[in-house]
Amino acid sequence: MQLGHCRFDIGKGDLINQDTGVVWHLPRAELHVLTLLVEYQGKVVAKPLLESGHEDDLQLSSASVSRAIFTLRSFLGPQYETLIETVKGQGYLLRPHRARKQSDKQWLKALIKPLQILLVVIALVSVLLAVLWWANLATDSDGQVLPLSVETVTLTSGQQVDVILYSPSKTNNELLIEQSQQLIQGLQLCPVTIWTRVFLSLSHDKQVLNITLRGDHYGQSLIRNLKISDLRQPKQFVTAQWLETLNICSTSSSQIALSSRSRGGE
Amino acid sequence: MTRKGLWAINIVVLVCLLGCVGAIYSLTTKPANFMLSCSSELFNHQAGKADSDHYLLVDLVSKDGLAQINYRYYDLEGNSAGTLSMTGKVNKVDTERQMFDISVTTKQEYVGAKGQATPEHYEYLSYISGIHLNKNGMHSLSVQVLERDETKDYAIVLFQPSNTVCGCRLVH
Repeated sequence: MQLGHCRFDIGKGDLINQDTGVVWHLPRAELHVLTLLVEYQGKVVAKPLLESGHEDDLQLSSASVSRAIFTLRSFLGPQYETLIETVKGQGYLLRPHRARKQSDKQWLKALIKPLQILLVVIALVSVLLAVLWWANLATDSDGQVLPLSVETVTLTSGQQVDVILYSPSKTNNELLIEQSQQLIQGLQLCPVTIWTRVFLSLSHDKQVLNITLRGDHYGQSLIRNLKISDLRQPKQFVTAQWLETLNICSTSSSQIALSSRSRGGE
Repeated sequence: MTRKGLWAINIVVLVCLLGCVGAIYSLTTKPANFMLSCSSELFNHQAGKADSDHYLLVDLVSKDGLAQINYRYYDLEGNSAGTLSMTGKVNKVDTERQMFDISVTTKQEYVGAKGQATPEHYEYLSYISGIHLNKNGMHSLSVQVLERDETKDYAIVLFQPSNTVCGCRLVH
């Protein structure tokens, strides 16, 4: 049985405020009064009937009935206390509140609907932001360049050197591959070298070949960057003669320095 | 508590959560400070002429979201053969993928002494960056770290869109 925002459980004798969840187990007088009012809902219940008690129960005094009405109204709250109406000189009346209940629901619906729409909008915006974030991540992963190829070259001594090519595209890399093969042939002539990894990349307009040699010498990292421009056609960035001047077969950092110095003296 | 109150609390909590997400995002994307120093040997193969060789020192500094890149060219005797100095800002740092997006907005060029041959690489870089700066008002580039060893203070990086691989020293 619904009474405003409260539900009356006649079987258990509980009045439950559904907004707050507060359960009020009705005392004897309140239970008796409310049961009778519900039983005769929409009709005036005479005071003597309310005071008559319930079957085995003792009779209630007029003051007990008045106090029960007061506490029931208090529990129903200011919004619904008028559900229990005093009919002067006769008794009390529980007003049929179906119509009012409906209007209340409409009022609630009118309130809740915009809030729900607002929440749905916020949720949609959140989902949209999340999608944009993921899309952004996906774009980033596209921007990341992975090696075009990694080739391990084995020298005559058995030493291995990784030759790694980088290109933003998987097509039109013939020149880069061709130049890397030139370099690999040069490396294969070395019995041993200080370099363990070689990185190659060709500029996007194929004007500059970049070679980075990396190695270790007594725990120290060694790096050598070579940038070769070639205005000739066809382009020959890496040639056997040029590789000889580079001293790529060096086995110590001092030899590299010596090589650089000797080039400087030319 | 009334239903209205509960909805109000829900919205407040949701707004707070969204605010926290925004705050975390802005904090985690704060640009990192770093400095790379890369030295290269330049070779220019020319038809019917001897190779003209130079050295190139590139310093890339990122501090508090600002970026400065200096390309300094030297001949084999150590004389300055030109300098390209670029400034801009760090747009985005992807620490997971080790990528840095930089927008260069200003460029200054200083040629070497009179009679000093300008390195081909200088001409090339000046031309490429000039095209972008004149066309869009900025020259965008990204730096992707391919290999990095903090203990040995080196990193192999790849510059895009020029697709230039380069080994650099990490300067702390």
